[in-house]
Amino acid sequence: MSFGERISRILLSTPVLRIGSILSTLFGISIFVFLVLRVIPGDSIVGAFGIETGVLTPEQIAQLKIYYGIDKSLPMQYLSWMQSFLTGNMGYSYSTGISIASLTAKALPVTIELALIGTILGVVMGIAVGTFSARKPGSIRDFAGQLFGLMALAVPGFVLSTTIVTIMANKFHYFPNGYEFVRLWEDPWMNLQQMMFPGLVLGIAVAAPVMRTTRSALLETVDKDFVRTAIGKGVNSRKVQTRHILRNSLIPIVTMTGIQFGYLLGGAVIVENIFSLPGMGRQVLYAITRREYATVQSSVMVFAILFIAINVITDLIYRKVDPRIKK
Amino acid sequence: MKLSKKLAIFSISTAMVAGVAFVAPAQAASKDLAIGVTLDIDKLDPHTATSFSTVRMLGLTYGSLVEVGPKLDIRSGLAASWGFNADSTELRLKLRKNVKFHDGSAFDAEDVKASINRVLDTKTTAAARANIATITSVTGSGLSVLIKLSVPNAPILAALDGVNMSMLSSDDIAANKIGKTVNGTGPFKFVSWEPGQSVKLEKNASYWKAPVKLDTVTFRIIPTEASILAALNAGTIQFSVLTSPTVALQVGKNLNLYRTPGLGYVTLQLNARVAPLNKLDVRLAIQCAINRAEVVKTAASGEAKVVGPITSPAYASDPNDRPCPNVDLAKTKKYLADAGYADGLTFKAIVSPTQYATASGTAQNLKAQLAKAGINLELDILDNATYVSRWLAGDFAAAVANNGGRIDPDTMYTRYFPSTGNLNKVAGYSSATMDALFLKGKATGRAAERKVVYKQISQELENNAVWIWLFAPYEYRAAAKNVTGFIPLATGSLIELRVVDLK
Repeated sequence: MSFGERISRILLSTPVLRIGSILSTLFGISIFVFLVLRVIPGDSIVGAFGIETGVLTPEQIAQLKIYYGIDKSLPMQYLSWMQSFLTGNMGYSYSTGISIASLTAKALPVTIELALIGTILGVVMGIAVGTFSARKPGSIRDFAGQLFGLMALAVPGFVLSTTIVTIMANKFHYFPNGYEFVRLWEDPWMNLQQMMFPGLVLGIAVAAPVMRTTRSALLETVDKDFVRTAIGKGVNSRKVQTRHILRNSLIPIVTMTGIQFGYLLGGAVIVENIFSLPGMGRQVLYAITRREYATVQSSVMVFAILFIAINVITDLIYRKVDPRIKK
Repeated sequence: MKLSKKLAIFSISTAMVAGVAFVAPAQAASKDLAIGVTLDIDKLDPHTATSFSTVRMLGLTYGSLVEVGPKLDIRSGLAASWGFNADSTELRLKLRKNVKFHDGSAFDAEDVKASINRVLDTKTTAAARANIATITSVTGSGLSVLIKLSVPNAPILAALDGVNMSMLSSDDIAANKIGKTVNGTGPFKFVSWEPGQSVKLEKNASYWKAPVKLDTVTFRIIPTEASILAALNAGTIQFSVLTSPTVALQVGKNLNLYRTPGLGYVTLQLNARVAPLNKLDVRLAIQCAINRAEVVKTAASGEAKVVGPITSPAYASDPNDRPCPNVDLAKTKKYLADAGYADGLTFKAIVSPTQYATASGTAQNLKAQLAKAGINLELDILDNATYVSRWLAGDFAAAVANNGGRIDPDTMYTRYFPSTGNLNKVAGYSSATMDALFLKGKATGRAAERKVVYKQISQELENNAVWIWLFAPYEYRAAAKNVTGFIPLATGSLIELRVVDLK
């Protein structure tokens, strides 16, 4: 094999293609976010000064443009930010004067913890109800299970959150999220109380698609030849359920779980707001309203990297649950 | 037991973790007041602070030369007394004795000079610069200060109030410490700021006024008002700032609700430089088609006061002193016909639903009411920064706006309606009459004469239907029953927490 062939073989190998695809995705996202933020009206000065921007003199505006780094051309702004980001310097939040890296280091664990709790609760509820439904398709239990799935899909998170908050506070005088947020390692008991309800709300949202996926995957697998063979060989029902049916239905469930976990990382803004959790959703939302470009851009890149990492982990789990994929 | 049943039971029991067996931690015994607010602060420099949340918090840590009392009267603050010369071009101030900054240094004329000069310096980008731009020099020593003005300007006294006119330590200014540390003369000392979570303050034991009773004050960021109310009901916070009438109406008897008509006002700003609103008859037609009481009922659940242009209590406009105090569709039709729009017309208004609680309701109700008069109001729904950006550029035909008010009508409108005002592009209107009236108002020192001038300004604004002034929303403060002594202020300031006690 010639040197050229060897190089082209390496370049076309799966890991290299995969890495190339990841890098190009991240690059595309960085360009997209950068441009979207510049296209929408308003800038960091308007975000910081609001209507008082109108009383600033042209000299003051010029000074502030330099301060916010928006006096340069768009390509220069992008390159400057990207250069900093690639060297680990995500920039500074102008409103707090704190580095975005340290803000993210505080907010990200909150969001990851919330997403994990939501996903675990959602998967447990989803698989349980999906299995419960699939055991007797068309029966009342199936109807009840599907009704749960529909309701979980239909009830918006903010309605469920507000209802829980209102009932707990008014009837039981209990709203742990009214206290300052406590991290898991500072006070696990209080942290659990503060994460419990938002986790449950997200869990219910995750449970619906997981339940529907589980149900259809199980129904598809239960008719497979190997299941009939196992039953025919006299394997006990429990083993058939877990080792043959559930295990062989896991691929779509894992896929759905991965997607849902990814969405939870970026999509828990409303729940974070209602339950006053200082996570990434709030960080990004606040930065968007104030047009803190570097904070939004860097935070979105962190989300993107995490989302890609989750996809990679999901792929690895595929290989674990279905050895055929290794081949 | 079958797997599906086990899983079902496990999942249900996991969900039941939400059971309510947990017990909230016991309340601390010391006098610690936790205040629920929806927005975090965004800076520590009082001169450049513009967001309500920042101004509110910094107002507890800094002091200004004068203060606004509960009846919106000007009271002594760090200045014990003052006097103008005969033509209101010089203001002499006698400073209060024994006032100290939080770092223990004494407050004197040097600090006043340095603070006012900092506000006037364009490099500071101070929010109040335009209000005191007529100051030409600040001199003095010890406890005496002389402020010289370029033109007669009696309203300058009111302009010396507020967080944006905070008195800072001259040493801190020289050392470029402003915005990095908080060293004021206010009733509370700054302790810490955890962005997105809380701001902590502690008692200033050497505060110049009555002893402060609270040991600490913590502003806790709870982004939704419904959750703030929940926290109040659960007892995890004891005080809150609310803006939504819907939430305020849910405050139960277990709490004290303070309801104060604010100085700010909600208005439909009309841009008289844009067709078809450049025609006076069109603007008057719009004015006559709107029932303000209905807007209040629909958008603010009846929780607001119908107002005219000037909301400053001493100069307040009579809301009935306008061409159409009540809705009059016959007049609307006549005005439209006179303007050449007998078949109706269409115009667009920008609105930002996230800007304030009643924005959407106001815009929708205006649209519905105008539709009855054959006027099609199209709503351009924008996020806040986009809205502000277009508003500042005057890039709109109309804007549903919630503008801040001031205790003096000059500082309230001098940047909008005089042709030289730096927000005149936003006001969308100017006239020689208006310019002359504002100059006259500035130069007039006597209260009775000033009232006449500002009444004329109010009538000029209404008769030309410059904007459609609608209502003044209430300021709400909700507090636990054990919070005593709080005095609400229409300015939105929480300075009276200095007299609050926790029983």
